[in-house]
Amino acid sequence: MLSSLSLNLIELGHFAAYLAFTVALVQGLAPLLAHKLRLPSLADISINAAILVFLLTTLGGLTLIHAFVTSNFSVLYVAMTSNSQLPLFYKVAALWGGHEGSLYLWVWILTLFTVFVVWHGRRRYPERLPVILAVQGWLMVGFFGLILFLSNPFLRVFPVPVDGRDLNPLLQDPGMVIHPPMLYLGYVGFSVPYAFAMAALLTNWNSELWIGHIRRWALIAWGFLTTGIILGAWWSYYELGWGGYWAWDPVENASFMPWLLGTALIHSITVQERRRMLHAWNLFLVITTFALSLLGTFLVRSGVLSSVHAFAVDPGRGAYILLFMILVLSVSFGIFLRKGRYQQAEENITSVLSRESFFVWNNVVFTLAGACVLLGTLYPLALEALTAAKISVGPPYFNAVMVPIFLLAMLLMGIAPLVPWRKANADKLRRRLLLPAIIGLAVAVLMWLVFPALYWTGPVAVGLVGFVLGMLATDFVRAVKQRRRQLPHEGPVLAMVNTILRNQRHYGGMVVHFGIMLIAIGLVGSGLFRLEKSVMMAPGDILEIGGERLRFDRVQQFRRDNYLAVQAQFTSLNSGYTLAPERRRYPVQEAPTTEASIHSTLLRDVYAIITEPEGGRWGVQVYVNPLVQFIWLGGMVIISGLGFSLSYRVRRMIRSPATVPASLS
Amino acid sequence: MRKILFLLVLWAAPLSAAQVTEDPLERQMLDIAGKLRCAVCQNQPVSESNADLAKDMRAIIREQLQAGKSREQIIAYFVERYGDYILLKPPFDQAGALLWLAPPLLLIILGGSAYLFLRRRLQAPARDYPALSAEDQARVRAVRGQEKIYQTRRPE
Repeated sequence: MLSSLSLNLIELGHFAAYLAFTVALVQGLAPLLAHKLRLPSLADISINAAILVFLLTTLGGLTLIHAFVTSNFSVLYVAMTSNSQLPLFYKVAALWGGHEGSLYLWVWILTLFTVFVVWHGRRRYPERLPVILAVQGWLMVGFFGLILFLSNPFLRVFPVPVDGRDLNPLLQDPGMVIHPPMLYLGYVGFSVPYAFAMAALLTNWNSELWIGHIRRWALIAWGFLTTGIILGAWWSYYELGWGGYWAWDPVENASFMPWLLGTALIHSITVQERRRMLHAWNLFLVITTFALSLLGTFLVRSGVLSSVHAFAVDPGRGAYILLFMILVLSVSFGIFLRKGRYQQAEENITSVLSRESFFVWNNVVFTLAGACVLLGTLYPLALEALTAAKISVGPPYFNAVMVPIFLLAMLLMGIAPLVPWRKANADKLRRRLLLPAIIGLAVAVLMWLVFPALYWTGPVAVGLVGFVLGMLATDFVRAVKQRRRQLPHEGPVLAMVNTILRNQRHYGGMVVHFGIMLIAIGLVGSGLFRLEKSVMMAPGDILEIGGERLRFDRVQQFRRDNYLAVQAQFTSLNSGYTLAPERRRYPVQEAPTTEASIHSTLLRDVYAIITEPEGGRWGVQVYVNPLVQFIWLGGMVIISGLGFSLSYRVRRMIRSPATVPASLS
Repeated sequence: MRKILFLLVLWAAPLSAAQVTEDPLERQMLDIAGKLRCAVCQNQPVSESNADLAKDMRAIIREQLQAGKSREQIIAYFVERYGDYILLKPPFDQAGALLWLAPPLLLIILGGSAYLFLRRRLQAPARDYPALSAEDQARVRAVRGQEKIYQTRRPE
């Protein structure tokens, strides 16, 4: 039996959460009061408050985790999402297995980011720091209000249940353990640029001074969001057992919208940094990206997606969320509209054929993409709420609309990195584009000849991949050659390494583009060349799919941890590997789940699941998904490229400026 | 449950190895089911859902295919019963028109404004940018830590 101290530790956490709420209020108010009372020193309170809120929120979070680990089912939330039989790993992760805990994790991460901002800004921008923290403080107040008054994970239940209702079996997967924190690190990460932007608008902060900071924070947030989305797709692929990884589900779209706008932002912010343009537009993008992050959190967490009526089932929570969104949006855009152009002077464009104008087109494409996903996700909800008419907007719609937009983005990716700032020499550009264009065209034609029946997007996408990859390769080779001409004594390998190291930001970005291309290859391969078979089989039968001969060996049953499993075994008669898909039954939740078994090679995955038995035969579904591994590989490449690009300043601090050779230009 | 399964395995084992082929009807059925929404699920096509309703719908599609009905007839059968809600691809009608018209319209609006923006910026006379104070300039350099960019920009 638990000691009473251990049992009631949760109350300490509950108290800490209330204190955090109060201190966050102080954090939000301090700079306001300092301004009103003309007591600048008062503003610094928000710095200490930010640290205190983080400590208190951490205390609250740790008591929640403690309640999960000790299976303290007197806590309602623990009783709802955990079970004494649950493996320890998942007990901890069950913290974000439901609404209440997810929101708590959100605000916990927000306080964590705030502390990072304190650490980052104390010396770099001390006079603006309190305002930035105040903006984040108000966000915390909003979230803590929702958590404490409407969605409280600390609530107790009496009588204490004998055991918990268990974590949703679908969430009992390593992918699902890391996916939500990554996603939230991304969502919440965008609150930092947002707080910077609001502080800049409120205090007429010269954009030269904050643009570099916003860029780095936005890149970090973008990296986490990208990781979160790819992990989500990975989880969907491995755990949900439907052979795919992206379904244009509203929950997925919710994370994809801020990603699209965030992608527009991290590109267009460079224009402001280098060319002092698009100042107001970037502020707009920062606010919109964060607003979409909030929308994403709330869409998933309010239950509005399953049905508009679910919103009304818990009217308090729904109304609060709606009100909070309206408040954040109207205050942010109100301030933006009033002061967005506080920094009027901007530079002009020298030529339409310049990097800056291509960045503008990039923004057109990504804003369009974001708007279309938003429309497709919210339109059915709005239509149902307004006219009671119900329609579905599913994958066929999104594929039809989004694929052409992606192709447009790829076209820009192949040209824009070659175009210099200010003004490009059209002849030179044409010459540099010639080889990549030939490569792209050749690949597209080849594709079309080999697979004439393919939908038009297939050859076009493959051609564009060839075009972009050709551009990346030729551009790099040209840079290395140029370096070798200038420094002939350097060996070829050293020249390559140094070319990259001397322009880390650029090549980091190009590595990210390369990763995107790998993902594009994976999407084309698995999207257009997927094979599937759905058959009834008895042990001993053989299934042939895509040249692969699979023998159904046997079915066995066993019990593990907290579930019962029926496991089938297949052997490939070609290469000898075995597949062992399972059906699991988790007695507490009574929900059967299918565990796919996947044999992966770089070129293709063989993906098997079993469904229900019928008259001595089992329903078997087998998919052959070509090139899926390229998607996960691309994700890793993107993150490495981003990390490489971001490590730029760290390297510079280590190396003394005197060692940078003057011959670089 | 366990006993039944065990017996099942015993019973099934001696069957001689036979290659199973997919019933073309099944493929047709899944094709049609992939276009329809499982009405009780969250955003799942009938072909991928394990819900009872989806199973029933698959059975109905199978029956109707056996009865010689065409793909369009079967889809129309479900639309008649569930409305357009059952279609994963919204039709171009009163309710769905905005969905299909918006993307091209947005492209024109966004692209048009970008074009106008670039043109205006191209024609505008060069404006004086207020010079930063020496103190601010030093700050900018410190903040960016990348004076190098300006020194090393290649003349193109």
